[in-house]
Formats: sequence, structure tokens, C-alpha cells
Amino acid sequence: MRTIPIIQGEHAVVNEEGVVISTLLGSCIAVCLHDAEKRIGGMNHFLLGEPGPDQKLNASELQRYGLHAMELLINATMKAGAQRQNLRAHLYGGANIIAGLGGIGTANAAFAKRFLETEGIAIGHVDTGGNRARKVEFRPYDGKVRSRCVADVPPPPVPERKPEHCGEIELF
Amino acid sequence: MPAASQIKVMVVDDQASMRAMIRRALQDFGFKDVRDKPTATEALPAIKSDRVHLVISDYNMPEMDGLAFLEAVRKDEVLAKTVFIMLTGSSDREVVQKAAALGVNNYLVKPFAPAALKEKIERVFGALT
Repeated sequence: MRTIPIIQGEHAVVNEEGVVISTLLGSCIAVCLHDAEKRIGGMNHFLLGEPGPDQKLNASELQRYGLHAMELLINATMKAGAQRQNLRAHLYGGANIIAGLGGIGTANAAFAKRFLETEGIAIGHVDTGGNRARKVEFRPYDGKVRSRCVADVPPPPVPERKPEHCGEIELF
Repeated sequence: MPAASQIKVMVVDDQASMRAMIRRALQDFGFKDVRDKPTATEALPAIKSDRVHLVISDYNMPEMDGLAFLEAVRKDEVLAKTVFIMLTGSSDREVVQKAAALGVNNYLVKPFAPAALKEKIERVFGALT
């Protein structure tokens, strides 16, 4: 079994047998999308649901948010051959690990659920909330997911990265 | 230059959440007449019948992608001069070049802040307020 670990801001899509996509979550959310008919699946991992209406953010900051992460995952899954109407989603994470952060995990989980409902994507298994970190392992080929609490294991640090489109073409 | 309230806009994106986010941003800029469609196939007849001035369209869509949509708009006698702003993913460099060749008025890379969208629109229409 080959494992593809992903961290915050990443996603992976797989259509082959014997592969597991894994991630470690605290207040972040991982959404697993699966097309059972085409045997294609993908998982993302995002830090925050959506920016507040008055937040002024640049493009690289926006990459941490679920709206962008979900679009990337849906597009990548469909590019691999999945049919949108076949997609079923499972949700994990959204723990409120650090007291005093205003229920950020709860807000993240609420965003993910709202997003999927808005997009008309069926929601399957949901394991969100609580106050402990989770390890999620997703087998995209057959759609099986294992989520287990891993108390006292902090999510790995997120490396500094350049905005993906810093080489934007100047045409206009 | 027309004020935002006088410009009819069509937003085309297969994701309802993205359409909603863009609609909210446009309304914040003062646009009053904003409509949206999930596919280019549905948007084409609507922009013709509604005489839309500005199309904001995603590139990555099923059925007809943003480039095919742009090409169809530019080939249509009635729609040819409609302002067209394309939204692309971060790795769509080739798409941007093709869109420029087809006559796109501007483009925006996702994810974008509302201020960036306003700036792209103003580069075409001038100040919105």
C-alpha cells in the first residue's frame, strides 16, 4: 500500500488501487471526495473556511481558505475522470483544540457542510468537532476512510511557500 | 465611463459558491444588475437576450470551457464587443495566452480578493464610481 501524505493547503487525487491519502488534522478540515462508479477519489486539507466580509487578504492568504481548496479538489477530481453528479463527500477535522480560539474548528466544519450543500454534493460520513487531533486515511479507489483520534499529536508545521501564481503573465 | 449600476453583468462558473462570492463582491462595488449561470451553454443565449455588457467567466468548466465560450462570444456579431474577463487557475498560463489571442479583455487568477476583481473591471471600464 503506497501512502500519499498531504498537509495544509494541499490536495491529492488518485484513481489506482493500493494507494492511501493521509493527513493529520486539528481544527483544519479534510474533505474526501469519491466517485464510486469511476473509482476515483481525492482529499484536501484546508486551514480556514472562508474569510470574513471585511477581511482584506491577498491571493496567497486566500489559498488557505476552503472555497479555493474545494474548487481545486473538485476540478482535479473531475479532471481525473470523475463525474460531478457521482461525487460523495466525507468530512473530517474541525476540532476545537486550543481553548479561546472562538470555535474555529466548528466554523470550519460548518463551512464545509454548507459548501457541499450549496454545490449539491452528497455528504456521507461526517466526523468533526471534539477537541482532539485526527489522523485520516482515505483509500480513493474503493472510497474507504479511517479517521481516528490521535491525542497529543500536533499537526505538522506548515512550510513557508511562495504564492503559486507569482509568475503571473502581464498581458494587459 | 459608465457607473457600476449601469453595467449588466453575467457571472459564469460551475460552482455555486464561487458565483455567490462574485455576486456579493459585485454588489459591494455598486453593480445592480448581476445574473449568473452554471454553464457557458446556458449563459450564451442569456447574454444575447439580456444585452449583457460584462461577462465574468471561469475557464475550467464542463461542457464548454471558458476559451470555447470566449470564442463563441467573439464570433457572434451581436456579442462580439461584450467585455469578457476570464477567471483561471494558477497553472493555466497557456490558457491565458490563448484567451489573449481570442480577445479576452482581462483575466484574473484564482483565488482572488474582491479588490483584485474590481481593479480588473476598472482597467476595462474605468472607475466604477
